[in-house]
Amino acid sequence: MEIVVNISDMKVTNRARDILVTHALGSCLGLAAYDPVAGVAGLIHCLLPLARDNKVPVKNPFMYVNTGIPQMIRTMYGRGATRENLVLKAAGCGRMMHISNQFDTGASNIAALKKLLQVNEMRLSAEDVGGTIPRTMRLFADTGRIVISSCGRSWEL
Amino acid sequence: MSRREEILQKAMAIPNMPMPVQKVLAYIGNPDADLRQLAKIIEFDPGLTVNVLRMANSSFFGGGAKVSTVKEALMRLGLGRLYQLVIASGVAPLARYAIKGYGLRPGELLEHSVAVAVASETLARELGVTAPPYTFTAGLLVNIGKTVLGSFLEVDAAPIMTLAHERQISFEQAEELILGINHAELGALLLEKWGIPTPIVNVVRYRLRPDESPEPDLALDLVHVGDVIAKMTGIGMGIDGLQYMPSEAVFARLDISPQQMENVMVAILEQIAEVRDILMENTL
Repeated sequence: MEIVVNISDMKVTNRARDILVTHALGSCLGLAAYDPVAGVAGLIHCLLPLARDNKVPVKNPFMYVNTGIPQMIRTMYGRGATRENLVLKAAGCGRMMHISNQFDTGASNIAALKKLLQVNEMRLSAEDVGGTIPRTMRLFADTGRIVISSCGRSWEL
Repeated sequence: MSRREEILQKAMAIPNMPMPVQKVLAYIGNPDADLRQLAKIIEFDPGLTVNVLRMANSSFFGGGAKVSTVKEALMRLGLGRLYQLVIASGVAPLARYAIKGYGLRPGELLEHSVAVAVASETLARELGVTAPPYTFTAGLLVNIGKTVLGSFLEVDAAPIMTLAHERQISFEQAEELILGINHAELGALLLEKWGIPTPIVNVVRYRLRPDESPEPDLALDLVHVGDVIAKMTGIGMGIDGLQYMPSEAVFARLDISPQQMENVMVAILEQIAEVRDILMENTL
């Protein structure tokens, strides 16, 4: 079954026949995580890098890289995934042509992800980020295969 | 005949907005227009009545105690707002089609257009400026040229995108090279022919290149940035993706901070569903 991950949304599955998909990655970050041993797959679509206001509880943690991704990974641990086996792949983080760096949300999203992974001593095994193309990202829960589609073409990540 | 002339000829044959919408617009244009008479004209059309009531009762446009008659709705919304909403409900159906050539499924372009409109108005609130009353409608209409090209004329945008990538030019520049016209200009010409007020037409015409506008216009600046923000969120994005150039002059003029831009992104995700449903469900 194809399960859609909306903007600021996250889904985890351990059913091998599921496909997690997120459409319309513009400057947003799509992060796929897969544990081949436990057979657990997770996909998140984050709009923004950081939930800045620490005083107010975040309405939707999946909107942000720094709150959503830890929550997804914890959920996956709860389903039997382990840190050693997790394979992480990122896509999206596009930018408008010549937009100034301070408004380049895509770059901020990937930077926030890399910082988060560094602090946790984890790494990305593949990424397809930047540029102006819109991306759709699919994670096949049977094998962990990632397929990116854009403008009528598809490729594996 | 050049490709441009061929496109213009076909586009101008597209039927005008539905009759009830035209009637209301013509009446509001009359200097002696009064709310009671206007309420009668609207009540004559069930689709328009439902739209006006839902908008007056929506939290985005109205808020407060529920209204149940068109007259109450008009009092709450005011003539200016109503005018914009009527245009919006007249043109929105065009944005519901699948725009196959531009990689958009049914409803996606409408969703994108609503995101632009909501982003433009929300940006004004975020910046503490008063958006000119036509801002929302103009934002909603900026993509009408894509409907015309991708749906009515069945233009395939894939080669346009390929050219834009090859030459590292914006998508609308590539449209001009291949079609002889871009979707912004085409949309403006169509709306002009339909008698849509000039300030709205101008925003549609210049929203991708605000620096070329003969006069500065706050609504144009807001819609330009609203469009950039909507594209970045990816809501209803077509194959043209982010292949556009934001104007640094407009960002500087509005004096936007990255935090304010992020706040608008969050707000549109929260508000878009309500506005989209109103425009999606009620066909005129």
